[in-house]
Amino acid sequence: MKALTQLSMAEIRLLARDPGTLFFMIAFPLMLLILHTGSDGIGRLLPGYVAMILAIGGLSALPGIVATYRERKVLRRLATTPVAPVTLLAAQVGAQIVMGAVGAVIVVGAGVLGYGVELPAQPAVLAAAFLLCASMVCALGFVIAALAPRARVAELFGLLIMFPMIFLSGAAVPREGLPEGLRAIGGYLPLTQAVTALDGGWSGSPAGLPLLVMAGITVAGTAAAAVLFRWE
Amino acid sequence: MPRARLGREPRSMTAIEVRDLCKRYGGTRAVDGVSFTVAAGETFGVIGHNGAGKTTTVECLVGLRRPDSGTVRVLGEDPARRRRVLAQRIGVQLQESELPGRLKVAEALKLYASFYESPDDWRAVLERWGLAPIRNKSFGDLSGGQKQRLQLALALVGAPEVVVLDELTTGLDPIARRETWRLIGDLKASGTTVVLVSHYMDEAEALCDRMAVFGAGRIAALGSPRELVERTGTGSLEEAYFALAEVAR
Repeated sequence: MKALTQLSMAEIRLLARDPGTLFFMIAFPLMLLILHTGSDGIGRLLPGYVAMILAIGGLSALPGIVATYRERKVLRRLATTPVAPVTLLAAQVGAQIVMGAVGAVIVVGAGVLGYGVELPAQPAVLAAAFLLCASMVCALGFVIAALAPRARVAELFGLLIMFPMIFLSGAAVPREGLPEGLRAIGGYLPLTQAVTALDGGWSGSPAGLPLLVMAGITVAGTAAAAVLFRWE
Repeated sequence: MPRARLGREPRSMTAIEVRDLCKRYGGTRAVDGVSFTVAAGETFGVIGHNGAGKTTTVECLVGLRRPDSGTVRVLGEDPARRRRVLAQRIGVQLQESELPGRLKVAEALKLYASFYESPDDWRAVLERWGLAPIRNKSFGDLSGGQKQRLQLALALVGAPEVVVLDELTTGLDPIARRETWRLIGDLKASGTTVVLVSHYMDEAEALCDRMAVFGAGRIAALGSPRELVERTGTGSLEEAYFALAEVAR
């Protein structure tokens, strides 16, 4: 437990030192929010931004980090200590949750204080949706890291999956504004479930199904990653 | 055969015992019937050219690989089965392993100390290994010698009884190498058992009590540096090594 705590803290520090992570998980959502200044229904954007922040971290930052650790034998070195390398992977999830929470609090805070958005109606449901979304995108991120042969490829795969996902799922832009065909594609994306669940928790009309789907994807993704993952 | 309980009385005991170790990769016999023992407190050299089976052998010692056949005992335990228990008592420095580029020196030591049940005080280790002046430097900004010194400190922060060092000084400049030798000398003096993998004869001669010369997955010769020189009738360990490695090929 001590090792997991220390590893998680080290990973949080490393994320906080990465300019790319800071920009995409903190500054970028704020920029999007500011671009919507004056438009109606700014409150409806925030749940999507929270999903977007988590997706950027889990789907695009995490695979690159983990694949780099494999490539540079960080995982192998850890395998010679009493700590199981899987602890390092758990610390990745912990760090993503913390960074995601920081990014979410900042953009939501800006929305509430700067734009008068009402506070979430059901914080508990929102928190559950947040944690499930984080788990889901991290599980998918591990699958990407497992499939990519090299760190650079993992980074590329992460971007190629994350970007279409945040735009088609309603995370970065509302799905209502999308053309019919693209909106239909969004219906099949995991992140769409997260946006729906977070939105439900926020507006006070929670639905159980998206939470269940996210839990299912998390379990399936974790199982796939466990089978496919190479330690070296 | 009864297994010795080690660690209670580390002196005059066997720290490492390897018998008939074999490991293949596909059709290649990387290690083909290797046997040796290392006494507690001894500095033992695993010497040989690239591909002679050195790294595979030490990977079996630290539990990173499972032997195809043969027995390996480190401090009385089987590393393949009891890796995590043994890891409390073994310090390892691996070839080419890195740390996250933005992790700082002091953070790395503190982190690795947290992995062990009864580690040394990481601040004292920082001082002892001359890392205090660069404690806030990121791993990615360190020179080759500084990285190596940090890796060595990380291998020792858990206060291990056995230390395995794989190609410790490869790529270091002569001054950094000598400095590293001095640190290994301190380690020897403290009674720690050291397994030193190297392809430098001067290093083996300066540091090792005994050494095994590996060739083609087997041990071509085993003895103290002086014995190997005498046995081959050559004038130096370097010459003795070439004579032995030639036979092994």
